[in-house]
Amino acid sequence: MILLCALVLVAATAEIVLDAAAGHSPLIPKSPVLAGWLQGIGERLGFRVFLIAVLAFSAGYAGLLWLARGISKRWAIALIAVLHAIVFAGPVLLSTDVFSYIAYARMGVEHGINPYLHGPIAISHDSVYHYVGQDWKHVATAYGPLYTLLSYPFGLLGVTGAIWGMKIVALLASAGTLVLTWRCARLREVNPVVAILAVGANPLYVIYALGGAHNDLIMLLAMMAAVSLTFAGRDAPAAATVVAGALVKATVAALLPFMILARRSRAQVLGAVAALGAGALIAYVAFGVDGINIVAALNRDAAFVSTDSFPNELAHLVGKPGVFPVDHDLLKGALVIIVLHLLWRTWRGYDWISAAGWTLLAISVTSTWLLAWYILWPLPLAVIARDRRLLVATLAVQALFIAHQMTPLFAPVS
Amino acid sequence: MNGAGTPPGRGLERLSPWLRPREAQARPRGRTGLIETTLLLLTGLLLAVATVNDVVLSTHTNHRLVADLRTWRSYTGHDYKNLSAEQDQRHHTTVDVICGNTTPGPPKERIQLCLQMTGPVIHSRRAARGGWYLPPKAEDLRHSRYGCFGEAKSAGLCGPAAAGAEGSEGTVAETGH
Repeated sequence: MILLCALVLVAATAEIVLDAAAGHSPLIPKSPVLAGWLQGIGERLGFRVFLIAVLAFSAGYAGLLWLARGISKRWAIALIAVLHAIVFAGPVLLSTDVFSYIAYARMGVEHGINPYLHGPIAISHDSVYHYVGQDWKHVATAYGPLYTLLSYPFGLLGVTGAIWGMKIVALLASAGTLVLTWRCARLREVNPVVAILAVGANPLYVIYALGGAHNDLIMLLAMMAAVSLTFAGRDAPAAATVVAGALVKATVAALLPFMILARRSRAQVLGAVAALGAGALIAYVAFGVDGINIVAALNRDAAFVSTDSFPNELAHLVGKPGVFPVDHDLLKGALVIIVLHLLWRTWRGYDWISAAGWTLLAISVTSTWLLAWYILWPLPLAVIARDRRLLVATLAVQALFIAHQMTPLFAPVS
Repeated sequence: MNGAGTPPGRGLERLSPWLRPREAQARPRGRTGLIETTLLLLTGLLLAVATVNDVVLSTHTNHRLVADLRTWRSYTGHDYKNLSAEQDQRHHTTVDVICGNTTPGPPKERIQLCLQMTGPVIHSRRAARGGWYLPPKAEDLRHSRYGCFGEAKSAGLCGPAAAGAEGSEGTVAETGH
């Protein structure tokens, strides 16, 4: 049974990647040819095949989690490695974000343009511009200055070289996240095999996050590194790592107040302040005041609405065509109440890992701009959390997200 | 190893007992835990209902859209793939507008014919009760429309500046089935 579940995961991933390599699919972003050696094996990836593959993957994943206690360490690692290798060998899946990363990098290193002031439209003559998503051509980067600086060397590699560079970074970040998840699970006396399977064989993690080479994987690596350092009693480096992660993608900053409330260590505060000061200084030197004004970028992105977001679904449920400005304020208010409650619980002794995980889950559920890889944020924390409700809730939210994708299966548009 | 279970840093012993961190709990117990679990279940139920509702709505919309596209192709006799569809988001009606080129060419690069689709889906088609034309490269905005016919004409959906062009391209009633 375990073997069958594993085979379903591998087959579903291979089907998606091989069909994606055939090109000309609305699910695959326009891209330079990356996986030429895979062309001709699969057929053009359509919605129906993709959705059936995702459903099969999800069913196999559920089966694996159910049977995970009977899976050996070697088997679990081998399965995750195979899934990662298949996705790595294929084209970029489902998202144009990686081309935005490359465009911002090339703006900085090739054209001397500040990516915090201009969108990729400023380099419309550059070869990467045609691959940037239509909605993002005029949008300046919302990623942290540390990530932007880390991505700069890839801007020198040309578009194809940069994509491979980003794919390698995503692969390494994922591997690092899984190693740290294993380590933290053992320290928390949670079955580490279950923990890494829950993260590393997750359909959204493998197909969406890794397939799209999203920088959320780097953020998750920083998050788990900070948790691991905290468990080792290294409070200052742990807090500094959270700040570094937030300078990649700001969301991970949600960990810091819970970590500080739980530990109450002066070293943590000093570590966070020092890292923030150093990061702000570097960002200011590299990008000017716009490089450190992440709040403005986050406020801008918070106003976006995606069809898959839960607030949008709730608006439809009550007969509204979509999310109105007042709804944004209500959602922010709800999020603040949730976070305050969790802070209070943490102060009273509630597991801070669980509290931070609930916060990340609440952020993704209340966000009007929800993408598949956002629901992964709480997952590595959920698998090591003392409060098992968090893992159930995280997987339930992911299941709802996947269910919401299924419309074309029932009524395909041609 | 649990961060929540570790003793507070030096100096915190002087704080009042309330301010000190409590003994770690795996999960909230008692009344608070019950309230939290109930709220979580209710939230989960609400999200599940909203998701199912949205899938049903989208399925109906897709079903309607397929009929709209089929109707446009049937009326015009053009089997074009790149048609644009617009739904009535403001009034939440099921009136959709489908636009497409009148002659072969890239999307929106030729004179476009827009049809207003209404009513139920019958035999995989819907009724086209009216429509208008758009010049090449124009978006479907009122001031760009001309040659309104059917219900669109009686509702005055074409811009006054384009009134002179009215009727110059014929009507769908003449070209349609």
